[in-house]
Amino acid sequence: MGTACAGGDGDVTVSVMVVDDHPIWRDGVARDLLERGFHVLASARDADSAVRIAKAVRPAVVLMDLNLGERSGVAATRDIIAALPDTKVLVLSASGEHDDVLEAVKAGASGYLVKSASAEELVEAVRMTAAGEAVFTPGLAGLVLGEYRRMAGSPEQEHPAPELTDRETEVLRLVAKGLTARQVAARLVISHRTVENHVQSTLRKLQLHNRVELARYAIEHGLDTDS
Amino acid sequence: MITARARVAGDRIAVGPLDRPHRGARGPLVPASDDDPVTPFWHGAILLRVVTLLFAIGIIWVRRERYLMPSAAWATAVAMTLWTVVLVGFYRREDGRRRWLVVTDLVLSCAMMVASIPITGRDALARQATLITSLWSSGPVVGAAIYGGRYYGLAFGAVTAAADLVPRSYFDVYLAEDTVLLLGVGFVVGVASEATKEAAARGRRALSAQAAAAERERLARSIHDGVLQVLSRIRRSGLGTGTEAVGLARLVEEQEAALRALITSGPMVATVDDAVDLRSHLRMLSTPSVQVSVPPTRVMVAMTTTAELLAATREALSNVTRHAGVDANAWVLLEDLGDELVLSVRDDGVGIPPGRLVAAVAEGRFGVSKSIKGRIADLGGTVVLTTAEGEGTEWELHVPAVTAT
Repeated sequence: MGTACAGGDGDVTVSVMVVDDHPIWRDGVARDLLERGFHVLASARDADSAVRIAKAVRPAVVLMDLNLGERSGVAATRDIIAALPDTKVLVLSASGEHDDVLEAVKAGASGYLVKSASAEELVEAVRMTAAGEAVFTPGLAGLVLGEYRRMAGSPEQEHPAPELTDRETEVLRLVAKGLTARQVAARLVISHRTVENHVQSTLRKLQLHNRVELARYAIEHGLDTDS
Repeated sequence: MITARARVAGDRIAVGPLDRPHRGARGPLVPASDDDPVTPFWHGAILLRVVTLLFAIGIIWVRRERYLMPSAAWATAVAMTLWTVVLVGFYRREDGRRRWLVVTDLVLSCAMMVASIPITGRDALARQATLITSLWSSGPVVGAAIYGGRYYGLAFGAVTAAADLVPRSYFDVYLAEDTVLLLGVGFVVGVASEATKEAAARGRRALSAQAAAAERERLARSIHDGVLQVLSRIRRSGLGTGTEAVGLARLVEEQEAALRALITSGPMVATVDDAVDLRSHLRMLSTPSVQVSVPPTRVMVAMTTTAELLAATREALSNVTRHAGVDANAWVLLEDLGDELVLSVRDDGVGIPPGRLVAAVAEGRFGVSKSIKGRIADLGGTVVLTTAEGEGTEWELHVPAVTAT
């Protein structure tokens, strides 16, 4: 608490909610955040209570574990983002849940941090999320890179899948190898801002494609009740 | 290599459902738990015994007028029938197929063959009369071959052939044929029985090894995602500054390292075509200072290739801890380009000064160079090493994708 408070973005304290089914982990994360001046509003241990509590306390950032038992954090992420447009969801998950992480990000989560990240990394990620930036960790970059390659490799698509530009691929690879945005900028001799834009663009294309696919699925299966 | 590993794993867990409480000390020592793989052979043997018995009785009935001792001939028929009934009873039970049974079978059969001398008479036998047991006497050879394999088959075949020759006072082409047939049947049935038993044992070993490996992977996953996360958090958040707290923190750190080592070693689970998802093995390498990034879809790679890639990655990572400095972080990235896999290991340490790798090879300390470059070259791949003093080290391993889904 002695350090300049990273949680305070100016005078505004960032409000956070922690969702994890593991009590030690949940309390540890909450303490890390409290010590650094964040306002931890609430915590939840499963998907349903996470959605319910989030609607009640309206946190700025939800730290979401994906492995929650019956209903996964992906569903909770989708519900929270649908109900609370101003709330950001940051996925904090064990390294193995690749599919779920990708699904959560497609559903609108702003980023992904592995649970083994240090307290400093966590705090920085929450701060960035609250500021509306994407938390593009190496793990997420690897997943996104792989997802674009999968889409490019899968045959006969009625709907053209989004593709990465060469530059975007280059940026994602460097991020996946652990370079910070600043290091990527230096390596490619472009501005820090440009790197951020490339990264954001890869996510936006993916999320947009996901929404289109969902809508198409709904129409094909007669889920659009209007018609 | 793989077989040896499977065998070890198999031996360790091939215990089966023996967990029931013992019913006193007199229970069966070896409960017949597994199906006998040669049971169909025994069923065939039962059929053979019954058919040859009917054949032998038929011959006795045809020749009933010509025996020197007709009542002894019928007594032999009764004895053959009774013994066949006993044999069928034992052959049908898995724990009835014992050595004493096949040996007794041989002794009885040979005794009856030799009994042909008084019953049929030397003169008739010299005129090529059939022995009283006729085809029925081939039974012990088949039974022994099923029981003990080719050597039992050959030995029992030889003894039966000898008992076939004893009552005769001549040797002709038919007796030679009998001898060859008896030895041949014993050998062929024995070989078939051995092969079947071996295949069944191999299948059982493979199954139990696979089950053990699958269970191990499940445990490793849960340790990695549960216990290890908590341990590293406890260690990181610090327990205080007292002597006891420092001691506890060191204990936690030691246990964390031991658990990591435990879950990253051990056999792999192979699918039917011997391929494994490289991602699940790579991610076990992740620690607070090592981040592993992988694609969202499965990356199926041959088991041997996976082992080599993991070993190369571990070598590159241990190189990080040795040379890049204690505070260095490392990143592992797996990319599946369809026809090629790219595995990158990068650290943000001090880097390798130019010439250092060459020097290491010259000193005979193969370490990095042999382990990584050699392994990847064996897989038909290439290694790109990018490093500069103060800029960390990056290994990029390119391997042709052989098994793709």
